[in-house]
Amino acid sequence: MSDDNQHDARTDGGTGIVPPDDDTPTWSERKSRRSGLPRLTYEYFERARREDQNLREESTYVERDVLAFPTWPHELIRNLALTSFFVGMLLLLSATLPPHIGNPANPSSTPSIILPDWYLYWSFGLLKLNDLNPALSLVGGQKLMADRTFGVLANVVVVGAIAMVPFLNKGSARRPVEQPFWAAIGMGGVTFALTLSLLSIKNLMPMDVHLLFDLTFLAPIVIGCLTYAVLKTMREGYMYDLNRRYYRLRPPK
Amino acid sequence: MADEFMKGFGLFSVASFLWLISASWYRTPSFESTRQLIAAPPEDPGTMFDSLGIFLGDLMFWTAILGAFTFWVVVPAGRQARSALVVDE
Repeated sequence: MSDDNQHDARTDGGTGIVPPDDDTPTWSERKSRRSGLPRLTYEYFERARREDQNLREESTYVERDVLAFPTWPHELIRNLALTSFFVGMLLLLSATLPPHIGNPANPSSTPSIILPDWYLYWSFGLLKLNDLNPALSLVGGQKLMADRTFGVLANVVVVGAIAMVPFLNKGSARRPVEQPFWAAIGMGGVTFALTLSLLSIKNLMPMDVHLLFDLTFLAPIVIGCLTYAVLKTMREGYMYDLNRRYYRLRPPK
Repeated sequence: MADEFMKGFGLFSVASFLWLISASWYRTPSFESTRQLIAAPPEDPGTMFDSLGIFLGDLMFWTAILGAFTFWVVVPAGRQARSALVVDE
């Protein structure tokens, strides 16, 4: 991108890279601007370019004249291998496992256990937080709201918390070790979704219901702390330099 | 070491897949049961093939567990112990 090889046009197929025309400011023209957005743009890209150059000079990787791997054979062989594996698994399982064709559903009788689809179990579990609904002694030990209202409010709180996370942290980390705290929050959230799902099917779980209820809230905290500790330990020896240039190419926080 | 991992993993996945097939035929009373794959096999398997299937299922179950244990724990531990004990190597 420097002045020297600017006119060094490369013909490596349709890469989508538009060569500079007469209207495009040259690099030295950009550099001569002293203020405002053009200067900022220059500094922004020059810094990224400079770091890229330094890393390339340090590295032992042999540069090639193409911008990516060709679709054939590299990409397609990989995709075909993965596709063959899953098609093979489907054929093998359907050929060897006993067929499950249950009785037709009876539309006139409601089953005793009603569950949503599995990916909504976490929300269903949030409807079963009756023990957390506070009873106020001020109003004679009555609950302030019905348990079902409390469950719906719990859904609002959890969905609201998830919606707020992108505003609290933009996610400029490329790997969990770069931001152990937020990685721990994420692992805790995933664990919470899992334990809530298990809570929602508590009548099928082979364990004490009260223990299950406590574990629903304790396990995410434990997993979050574990994640934080492990990632904090992994920070030592992690090569930030290799990843710093990716930060530059993304919008600053 | 990666080779040992792959041997153990291969044994584990293939054997547990074969166990899954056997257990789904012989240890699953119903697909609405809460004891799928772990229920006791039928007392009196009708044919020789059924008893063979039950036996192979058990065999694969222990192959998966002991195979993984062997290649992930026993063999590496043996190598570590040997390199710690044998000095002139």
